[in-house]
Amino acid sequence: MTTKELAERLELKGLTRVFDKPITGVYISDMVSDVIANAKAGNVLVTLQVHNNVIAAANLVDVSAIVLTRGRTPSPESVALAEKAEIAILSTNLDSWQVATKLYEAGIR
Amino acid sequence: MDGDKPRHRYEMVNIQPGYLIVEHEVFSRQMRSYFSAEEVPPIEEYREGQQIWKYSGMAQSFHFDIREVATGRLTKFDDLLGLVPHTGCPPDSDIYRLGEIAQEQKVWIYVAVPHRPLDSSGLGVWAEKLKVLNRYFSERLGTPNKKILILPDYFGLQEQFDHGMIMADIGLTTMEG
Repeated sequence: MTTKELAERLELKGLTRVFDKPITGVYISDMVSDVIANAKAGNVLVTLQVHNNVIAAANLVDVSAIVLTRGRTPSPESVALAEKAEIAILSTNLDSWQVATKLYEAGIR
Repeated sequence: MDGDKPRHRYEMVNIQPGYLIVEHEVFSRQMRSYFSAEEVPPIEEYREGQQIWKYSGMAQSFHFDIREVATGRLTKFDDLLGLVPHTGCPPDSDIYRLGEIAQEQKVWIYVAVPHRPLDSSGLGVWAEKLKVLNRYFSERLGTPNKKILILPDYFGLQEQFDHGMIMADIGLTTMEG
């Protein structure tokens, strides 16, 4: 599955352009340090963290996209940074557990 | 399945969650930091000789080592305060400007900031550490033509430390008032 397919399937709202990238898995975390240590290239990062450093950390480990949960809104600076890094920020009102469930149902392991 | 996993030359090991504690000297504003595995409550300022040190803040962070899989050789990063993305620096700073130049070529610059300023005589042990750090993150990239470049702190970030610059988790601890 790619990020565009994921956005359509889960009805996620793109807060940036939706850069179409292959998805290798999922990582759920709200801690920058944990993302750096454990997220993997191509992962979808599910988080409610909106700090710029989440984008920087996601870029460092090369995630494919960020799913921002609970309707959280990133700053314009975070959006601009994600655009530059070509990491899509996708928004949902669901919480992390609900997103995880839907990702699993969509076949992402 | 293990057979499908990319085989990386390096792996991150001895990952230890903990806290980054920052203090500054009252008169000179000199900054220093250290890592603690335990949460440290804010303490009253204290004297060391002619200096008075004051607690500045705390962030959740982690320590790690990187091991070369084939040889078992371990590179320790106890002296690493954290990584700062060029985008976390002031827009009028040299590192930000260099980062923007590099970013146009899909090279993303991060600065490895140590707990203590680099020795004026040169990189010393950091030369090898930076090689390992760059190799570790670079070999994991999947995006075509993308590069990560981790530089030593030749930009004085350790001295002008700002909590928001370091990629750590600020404000998640309950012990700060």
